[in-house]
Amino acid sequence: MLSRRHFLTSLLTPAIVALAPNLISAQEGVFLDEEEAPRAVFPEGTHFEKKVVPSTEALREKMRGLLGRTRPSIWEDAYVTYLVRRHGERLGFAVIAEEIGKHRPITFVVGIKPNGKVKDVALMVYREAYGGEVRERRFMRQYHDKDLAAPLLPYRDIVNIAGATLSVQSIGRGVKKALVLAQLVLLDGAGRP
Amino acid sequence: MKRLLTLFVVLSVGLTAVGTALGATLDDLERQLQAIQKQIQELKEEKQRQDQKIREMEAAQAAQKEEVKKEAASLREQARRVSSELAERVRIGGYGSVRFEGNSLKEQSNTFTFRRFVLTADAKPADPMQVYMELEFERFTQLELERTTRPQDGGLRVAQAIEGTDGSEISFEQLWFQYDLYPWLKFRTGQVLVPLGRFNINHDDNRWNIARRSLVDRGVPVLPVKSAWPELGAGFLGDIRLGELGKLTYEAYVINGVALDAEVENIAQTRDPRRDKLELEVEFQPSRGTAKLDMKDSKAVATRLAWSPYPGQEIAGSFYYGRYTPQFLSDESIVAFAIDGLTTIGPFEIEAEYVNTHFRNVDRVARSFARVVVDQSANIPSSVSPTFEAEVEFELAGLARNKHGYWIEGRYRFWPEFLTSTVFGKYFENPQLIAIVRGEQVWLNGLVREAEFEGGVLTKLEQENRRLYRVTAGLAYRPTPLVVFQLAYEYTKTDKGRSLAEVTNFLPAQSDEDEAHAILVGVAFGF
Repeated sequence: MLSRRHFLTSLLTPAIVALAPNLISAQEGVFLDEEEAPRAVFPEGTHFEKKVVPSTEALREKMRGLLGRTRPSIWEDAYVTYLVRRHGERLGFAVIAEEIGKHRPITFVVGIKPNGKVKDVALMVYREAYGGEVRERRFMRQYHDKDLAAPLLPYRDIVNIAGATLSVQSIGRGVKKALVLAQLVLLDGAGRP
Repeated sequence: MKRLLTLFVVLSVGLTAVGTALGATLDDLERQLQAIQKQIQELKEEKQRQDQKIREMEAAQAAQKEEVKKEAASLREQARRVSSELAERVRIGGYGSVRFEGNSLKEQSNTFTFRRFVLTADAKPADPMQVYMELEFERFTQLELERTTRPQDGGLRVAQAIEGTDGSEISFEQLWFQYDLYPWLKFRTGQVLVPLGRFNINHDDNRWNIARRSLVDRGVPVLPVKSAWPELGAGFLGDIRLGELGKLTYEAYVINGVALDAEVENIAQTRDPRRDKLELEVEFQPSRGTAKLDMKDSKAVATRLAWSPYPGQEIAGSFYYGRYTPQFLSDESIVAFAIDGLTTIGPFEIEAEYVNTHFRNVDRVARSFARVVVDQSANIPSSVSPTFEAEVEFELAGLARNKHGYWIEGRYRFWPEFLTSTVFGKYFENPQLIAIVRGEQVWLNGLVREAEFEGGVLTKLEQENRRLYRVTAGLAYRPTPLVVFQLAYEYTKTDKGRSLAEVTNFLPAQSDEDEAHAILVGVAFGF
């Protein structure tokens, strides 16, 4: 009896240790720095032109108007944005945004196409102890091609992650904020960057 | 002529005298004037000196004020940094829940229940390390100990009184240290939640929409110990990404594990016409393992492996194996396994869990127990004490050859737009109403009903098969993800003519009450 238990115990640990390291992910952490962020959402981009948009009270007021029922938990002092080109062709904008999860801010980058739709979203910094699954590509893929008309809410148009509902809701808020900023400041009237 | 000359002389002398006198006065005046001017100059200089001094003093005061201001600002910054660092390293949270219940039972038809308040703390001693704690106060209102020691009646009198309320419990639901050895391998040790099924590891009340926990996990525990079930041990956990195939999540621990442990109950009873009674009942039942010296020379293993092909979809298998008998009884083990899952399709969710627990050789354990205890009970015969009876009794409880059961819960989330402008919607970003239906069944096969023994020999072991099912339907309102208002109707039924109290740990049914209807209203919150 004892030896069987010992056998089972000793079997489990090495089996787990033997798993390939690059297959496994962590919760908290810094996953992208500011320089890497636009490349994460526009990997095909060749030129990244940084532009800092000050977050003035007038801009916030306009953003509030477009955000409707979505109420940001953070108003950034300024928005770090990148105009992304591939050999001269304009691909879109990358906007760095922040929103509070349960206790702490989540920082992420939103890639926005010239038509005002989401190209991609990538997590830059996750500071919560739980809910780090929002970092996964398969979760972030849900935001592809979403625009301002989308609710971006769990159980509406975004599949929730059990135990991370607040983080899921935060990412949705942040994506909306980035889309609104693009609409007001980055894209021209014809919807071109 | 002479008179004219005389007049001239007199006038000259007079004028000379006057002139001399006048000249002397002007000199004096000039001197005085100079003296005054000098004094004025000195006063001016003195004033300038004083002004300079004042200016210097004012400048010094201003500099001093600036210095104080700077120091205060620096102190404030320091305090802010310290508190921010502390906030970064330690996060306090928690959850709590209360319930009102009205039911059809004869004995107790309605009650408020303080389900629990759990305080959580999450700290990071260093970047790859984490300490997590959940301290639970369940059905808790107070616990007070009074003790007096004093000489009395020619001897020493020590009196002790424990004051508390029924069911009050303080417990560490979790208390562990985690070291992320590599980003892909996390080592955890301490009081960890046993990963058998999905409820135990996701047991926070504010995550669920019905104000009563499931039968297999709590009310008729098929889990070896009712949830929340932590054990002291160590192990590993992590997530394994499989690319397009999704994600695997694993947890694997070696723990002290469940053991038959004694619960000592004191009963004082007045009876008429029988003798009044003072009873000491020692009940041995499967209990959470000790945090001190393990009472068995054997550890248990528990592991869970979950596969999530897509977000919102998960299926998992879990397993528990370990000795459940203390060292002084024959060596017998528990084998338990669970299958659980979650699927999400838009606003619909289905979540389910099946648990199967097998206590090996319950009859052998009963015989072994009889051998060790020798006599099931001992009391003072009425011939010795005609009005008062004292008894000590040993019992085996909570054992069954096999227990198994499941719960399956369907949820539909919606929000009528007309509520958006009301108080239920206008303050919240994503309020939800959730319609819930939960179905549950439990089978208890070979449930030990009575074990009688005398002189170290088991004389009777009565076992029975019992079945119980429950259906719950309700509506929950979630203004935010952390807060839920719960309303549900619940119907519970066991074998015809048999009491629900015999198989559940939450329904005070009488011996003929085999069914119960209940309305549950609850609030659960997290922060």
